[in-house]
Amino acid sequence: MTFPDCGVGTTLPALDLPLDRTLIVATAIASQDFEDVHHDPGKAAERGTPDIFMSINSTNGFVDRYVTDWTGPHARIARVALRLGVPNFPGDTMRLSGEVTGVTGDSVSVRVTGRNSRGVHVTADVVVVVPAEGGDR
Amino acid sequence: MVQELEQRCAPFVGEVAEPPRVARYDVDAAMIRNWAEAHDDSNPVYTDPEAARATGRRDVVGPPAMISTWVMAGYRRHREIHRLRAEGVSEDFAYSRLLAVLDEAGFTSVVATNVEQDYARELHPGDRVTAHFTIEDVSPVKRTALGDGVFITLHKRYVDQHGGPLAEERFRLLRFDPDTKEEGR
Repeated sequence: MTFPDCGVGTTLPALDLPLDRTLIVATAIASQDFEDVHHDPGKAAERGTPDIFMSINSTNGFVDRYVTDWTGPHARIARVALRLGVPNFPGDTMRLSGEVTGVTGDSVSVRVTGRNSRGVHVTADVVVVVPAEGGDR
Repeated sequence: MVQELEQRCAPFVGEVAEPPRVARYDVDAAMIRNWAEAHDDSNPVYTDPEAARATGRRDVVGPPAMISTWVMAGYRRHREIHRLRAEGVSEDFAYSRLLAVLDEAGFTSVVATNVEQDYARELHPGDRVTAHFTIEDVSPVKRTALGDGVFITLHKRYVDQHGGPLAEERFRLLRFDPDTKEEGR
């Protein structure tokens, strides 16, 4: 599909992301997040969760990746509003899906949902700006 | 007890959370690459200057979600903050004092629930980020699936080395008491 040949209701190809412990730790540390719940299973248990879990910044990063995988590198993400649901634990697979919810000029709104086997991990409303090919950014 | 806690939290609403947080280093191609690799993100505008220029950018850019990464306090400071908390010392910033009040009430655990970010422009290597944090809201005490807690909303305004706007953020987190998780109150 050539962007922005899309309209309200256009769906993005789904992406399955298998999440292991190393990925959850590596993404947290890449964002300089040293909170123990993102790398220390014992501390996570003391804090009431069964295992370490993905940080909100990492989730945000995967939403960026999912949207720009679809738009291509010309696009610029202008806004994101995301809400977390069930955590992403090691061993989960998160399936990302997306649907266009609005198109205004060169700006496209996309609703991204990330689910694992226990339910919805993230709901994100993303606004991405895609200048016409060869146009000014 | 709950009412007293809420009364102690109320004055923090609208306060500057802490002094402006100045990035420890410039936006940096190596930090961007580490992030892109960890997220297995192959968007070339993050790591390949030629590819970035081919899209009209002057250089590689940082992934939008990295905006908060640039002003993270770093490992050494992280350890110091946790040492001070364990010793019951609260620094003289509104946010530290608020967390001390919540610690005292047993709301010692944290989980982020929402983030909203509006990006004014993309960041390039060499940019230097400063963030201004304000405590925008502290909710009443709520029962949640994780235990009793309060939701804190922080407003963060990110600017560059010239004071120009980079991003605005609302970040909501829950401070909660994990020991109240299964109480059938």
